[in-house]
Amino acid sequence: MTDSDALIPVTVIGGYLGAGKTTLLNHILRNADERIAVLVNDFGDINIDAALVDSADGDTISLANGCICCSMVDGFIGALETVKAQSPSPQRLVVEASGVADPQQIAAYAHMPGLVLDGTIVVVDADQVPKQLRNEYIRDVVEQQLRAADLLVLNKRDLVADADRVSTSIGSISDAPQLSAVNGELPLEVLLGIEVLERDAAPGPVADDRFGTWSESFAEPVDRAELVERLEAQPDSVVRVKGFVRLNDAPELLTIVHRVGERLALSPGGPWDGSDCQLVFVELRSKNSVADVTLVTERG
Amino acid sequence: MTNTTIYPARRVITMNPAFPTADAVAVRDGRVLAVGTIEELAAWGEHTVDDRFADKVILPGFIEAHTHVMAGGVWQFPYVGYFDRADPDGKVWKGSTSIDAVVERLIEIESEMTDPAEPLIAWGLDPIYMPGERLVAKHLDSVSTERPIFVYHASGHLATANSAMMTRSEITEHTEVPGVIKDADGQPNGELQEPAAMSLATMAFERLIVAIGSAQAKWGYANEARNTGQTLITDLGTTRINDPEQIDAWEEATSDPAYPARVMLAGSPMFGGEEDPVKLAAIAVDVQSRNENDKLRYGIIKLVLDGSIQGFTARVSWPYYYNPPEGAAENGLWLIPPDAVADMVTAHHKAGLTVHAHCNGDQAAQVFIDAVETALERHPRWNHRHTVQHCQLTTQAQYKKMAELGMCANIFSNHLFFWGDQHRDFTVGPERAARMDACATAQREGISYTIHSDSPITPMGHLHTAWCAVNRVTASGQVLGPDERISVMDALHAITIGGAYQLKLDHEMGSIESGKLADFAILEEDPLDVDPMTLKDIGVWGTMVGGVAYQAAARS
Repeated sequence: MTDSDALIPVTVIGGYLGAGKTTLLNHILRNADERIAVLVNDFGDINIDAALVDSADGDTISLANGCICCSMVDGFIGALETVKAQSPSPQRLVVEASGVADPQQIAAYAHMPGLVLDGTIVVVDADQVPKQLRNEYIRDVVEQQLRAADLLVLNKRDLVADADRVSTSIGSISDAPQLSAVNGELPLEVLLGIEVLERDAAPGPVADDRFGTWSESFAEPVDRAELVERLEAQPDSVVRVKGFVRLNDAPELLTIVHRVGERLALSPGGPWDGSDCQLVFVELRSKNSVADVTLVTERG
Repeated sequence: MTNTTIYPARRVITMNPAFPTADAVAVRDGRVLAVGTIEELAAWGEHTVDDRFADKVILPGFIEAHTHVMAGGVWQFPYVGYFDRADPDGKVWKGSTSIDAVVERLIEIESEMTDPAEPLIAWGLDPIYMPGERLVAKHLDSVSTERPIFVYHASGHLATANSAMMTRSEITEHTEVPGVIKDADGQPNGELQEPAAMSLATMAFERLIVAIGSAQAKWGYANEARNTGQTLITDLGTTRINDPEQIDAWEEATSDPAYPARVMLAGSPMFGGEEDPVKLAAIAVDVQSRNENDKLRYGIIKLVLDGSIQGFTARVSWPYYYNPPEGAAENGLWLIPPDAVADMVTAHHKAGLTVHAHCNGDQAAQVFIDAVETALERHPRWNHRHTVQHCQLTTQAQYKKMAELGMCANIFSNHLFFWGDQHRDFTVGPERAARMDACATAQREGISYTIHSDSPITPMGHLHTAWCAVNRVTASGQVLGPDERISVMDALHAITIGGAYQLKLDHEMGSIESGKLADFAILEEDPLDVDPMTLKDIGVWGTMVGGVAYQAAARS
């Protein structure tokens, strides 16, 4: 696959007003090691660290690390045109949904030609969410957002006395894995999924001791139904599976495998070049911030 | 040397309660010198008598406080709506009352198009009146298999494309964008629901955007106003006041002496406007303070809190919707987080601006009313006139609180005719439908209110809108909520001084009295004499704006 014909993965970040979406965006931008284009509603909130900013031009801010930030002042399509015109073009899009948007509606755009949906992350203010779920004005909006999530990021869980109860109440609405965080600080390997993988590199350790990863490498084609069945049977703690395989119904092609939360997608990944296939698993080992988990284990 | 003209009339209805009617009006330098008898007016000195309105009835120019400039732009495309509708040049386009009629109309338009590459874009289709029928690609393919066709529905949430448009837009059986509707064989059927799917047809959207921003749109908009008696129209939040190019384009159009209306432009964070409320308020104050054009006005801010009732996207209070379509959400959409409204209102309120908030549902209205209360607690201020726009389900308790807070209402009376039957049967049910667009309640509770068309959503024309508020007759001919009907005189008040008041223009317009601008609606019949059921049928000769007469386009 070359950059020019690769599908650009799109991550949608949703969540109600004040949940910490822009904090999460800033965290992603600061730690990005690929060219990410972030589409936001309003530059006003994003407050990018001035040291990171390379140049600003109208609706676009360029960062020194190759990322850009683009305002959706002309709507999603306008912003998409702007970022696609960048050279070199971005490797990933991260779209911030407004605080009252149904993230599913935004994710709909990720099915446009040239794009592929990576996942929908919904940020939750663990302190405020019980109140929000009782508020007649927004209860249904917050529930809809929770249901739209592939991954849930629970901010401010540390402020909540009865955090388990909050988790249970969210869990009754959404099956998505819940990842607790302070200021949205979660490893990018967890937040962002599909990527153009370095073919020979084994997954490195995730820089957050709550998570573990392992990978599997194999040369032979796999059966589509068996693969799907196996991936769907992964325990809830496996928050992501990503990689590429050869399927026995199309062994000359690579198929990109992408599972985030409950959602599994198989998409075409170009011709097979003879090298081994690989799947990477990311597992949540502990819901809390304590360092009680083992680091990377190789099971593959 | 003065320049005074006396216009004798069958009757001048002034809407000034201290001097309700007169025989004639004298105009000097674009303003009303006085009303009275010809003798009384002649005593002002040198003058000419112009008899052309001697058999007409002169009213204050109608004030339309909620329309959009695209009302003038949409006519660059053929109309395929259900009801007969006049374009800004006065031509009446017959309504298309079935899918077959729509197809027939499109065949006719297609046969007249010369450039084979030009797409056919049509607007106004409202399938809510054609239950059981759906317009899909195969209908449009019978119009043309080569020319791309795009039919934009009246709701704004749906469009139908033909196969040629789908090919051009790369919409295929592999397209996974939700809202691209597929038939049983997995092929897209041409229906594109919601923005993500519709935006795939970039070719159509580019043309729609160009049309809306064009000078032709601005002129069509004012011509439609002239044809139906409006002298001030409000483009409620469609123009970007933070874009100097757009302001210049308005300046250019309205400073032409032939431009037949005054226009008020609202600032808005939508459609690419400035989103930061403090910055938007500063821009609005700045553009207003620099303005020297009498025909271009500023000073208001538009916010949009929720969606539409007929689209089941307005935020309504419990028990929510009556008979919603299968799979519909329990309640509608917020376009602004309810918790953010108070800070937004406060920013504009502190800057001295008037906030006009689109609230179709009563839950949205409650959030806005509470936000105004918060802004007033933080920053006491008199005569702000913050206005609930649409006000379709606003309750008596809400009207009482609005009165206490000094707020105004702009009520969407045209809904009663165009969607009243649907509101009774599907959206909110008979009881709440009977108190929708409750002018009588607003009046009883002491609210200053006006009524509106939201053109192009429904056709501009304040006699029709007044007719809706007075009669509350639906498209099927039934009276919806007879206890909310108002008198003709009250409706005339709403469409003149009522509109002027909430836009803070009542010291200049809204009634015909000495010192105010010579802005008139000139009618063929006296609205106080006719059967109220024929109010909408009164002929409009045209208008006078600042003492200049603008004759309506002849109906054809």
